[in-house]
Order: sequence, then structure tokens, then C-alpha cells
Amino acid sequence: MAKFLAVCSTGLGSSFMVHMNIEKVLKELGVDGVTVDHADLGSVAAGDADAVFVGRDIAEAAGHLGDVVVLDSIIDINELRAKVEAATVRHGLAAS
Amino acid sequence: MRSGVAETSEARPLLTQYLTEQNLLFPERVDGWRDAIERVSAPLLADGAITREYVDAMLTSIAGGGTYIDLGYQIALAHARPESGVVRTGLSAMWVRPAVLLNDEAAHPITLFVCMAAADSTEHLAAMAQLGSLLSDDAARESLLAATDPAAALAVLTAGEH
Repeated sequence: MAKFLAVCSTGLGSSFMVHMNIEKVLKELGVDGVTVDHADLGSVAAGDADAVFVGRDIAEAAGHLGDVVVLDSIIDINELRAKVEAATVRHGLAAS
Repeated sequence: MRSGVAETSEARPLLTQYLTEQNLLFPERVDGWRDAIERVSAPLLADGAITREYVDAMLTSIAGGGTYIDLGYQIALAHARPESGVVRTGLSAMWVRPAVLLNDEAAHPITLFVCMAAADSTEHLAAMAQLGSLLSDDAARESLLAATDPAAALAVLTAGEH
């Protein structure tokens, strides 16, 4: 199963909002087979997830985590939808 | 999968349980981002949800470049780690006009500060799910940003619980 991870500095606030919104978007897109979770930057290692979603402020610090998706606004559902959809395509998870 | 968290939260009025009328602030004037953090955290400090240490932790974090609390749409989610002075979970919010610049950075104008104190890493999640869902909804977010008094803000927050 593929894993998408929302990451922020503390793992308490914004990453959880992104986590919930990724789940919402995946449901809208009709994509199954993706586990979504959230974490703080310090506890994530490269390889922990297929795609890592971060705000632009920690984009650089998260650069080593593999497929890093940078969000300009973490509450812009349209931006997230487009970027989640692109990630599902990259990882061969497009809706059936 | 943690989708069960959100499903559970939607049935309970958690957002307005924390964001009560006295925690919704509409100051006439705010003198920069430090004053904004002091003011938005004041209700939580007054009711004992946080200690002074938490306010200082937020100030230090932002001054150190912690502008990640800028969620976009001129909304900031001010918070620090639970161990930095959280006594119990709490939320407060403050509307600021004109916008103040977070850490004096032109890229981060803020007109709505939400202060989040999380007593542990799970207790606040249901309220956060509601808040995230509300802020991600274009119409609800615009209504919330446009609020000019606690009653109007409370009406939007209450609607966001359903």
C-alpha cells in the first residue's frame, strides 16, 4: 500500500489539517490504496512515505525525504487536489 | 488510516467548545506580530490553559523563522510544543485589521491568528479536523475572515461543526 505523509515542524497543527485534506481529496478522486498520516519533520526519514507533503517553509529542510510535494497554502484544497492527483499518477495510483 | 478521527469529530461540537465567545478577540489596534501573539494567547493564559512559557515559546519559534504557522489566506495557526507550557488543550482566535506581518516578513501578512495549545498530541485532533475542514472551505473561510464581532465568528464556527 502506498503512503502519503503530511509533515510540518511540530506534527501537531498544520500537518494534521493537510492529512485530513489529503484523505478528503483521495476520496473525491476515487483513489484507493493510499495510507495517509502526519508527522513532525524530526521524526521522518527518507523512505518512510511514497510522497511527503510539506508547507513551503520547510521545503528545503524536507528535501532529503524523497518525493516532496510543496504546498503554497496548506488550506488551499484546490492546490492540494491538483498536487495529490499528480502524486497518485507519479506513483501509479490513478483512480480506476 | 486515521479517518475515524474525523468521522467521530463531526458529531461533536468541539470547535466551539474551545473557541468560546470570550476566546474570540477583535482588538481595535495591534502593534506588530509580537503584540498579536501576546494578545491572542491572553485568554488561554488567563484561564490557565497555558503558562507564560508557551507564549515565549511561540514568540521564539516565530522569531527563529517559524513562519510555517502561516496557513495561507492571511491565517496563522500560532502554536508551540505541548511540553512548552501547555496545561490543558485550548484555542483562541483574533481578527486583526490591518494585517500584521509575521516575523516582519512581507510574504506573511496575517489578518486572523488562531492560537492552539495542545495538551497532548491526540486530544486536540478532533477540533483541529473541524478547523481544517472549515478553513479549507472557500465560502466558510471567507465568512470567518469577514467576521467583525464574536457573534458573527461564532455563527460561522457553529455552522462548521456540521
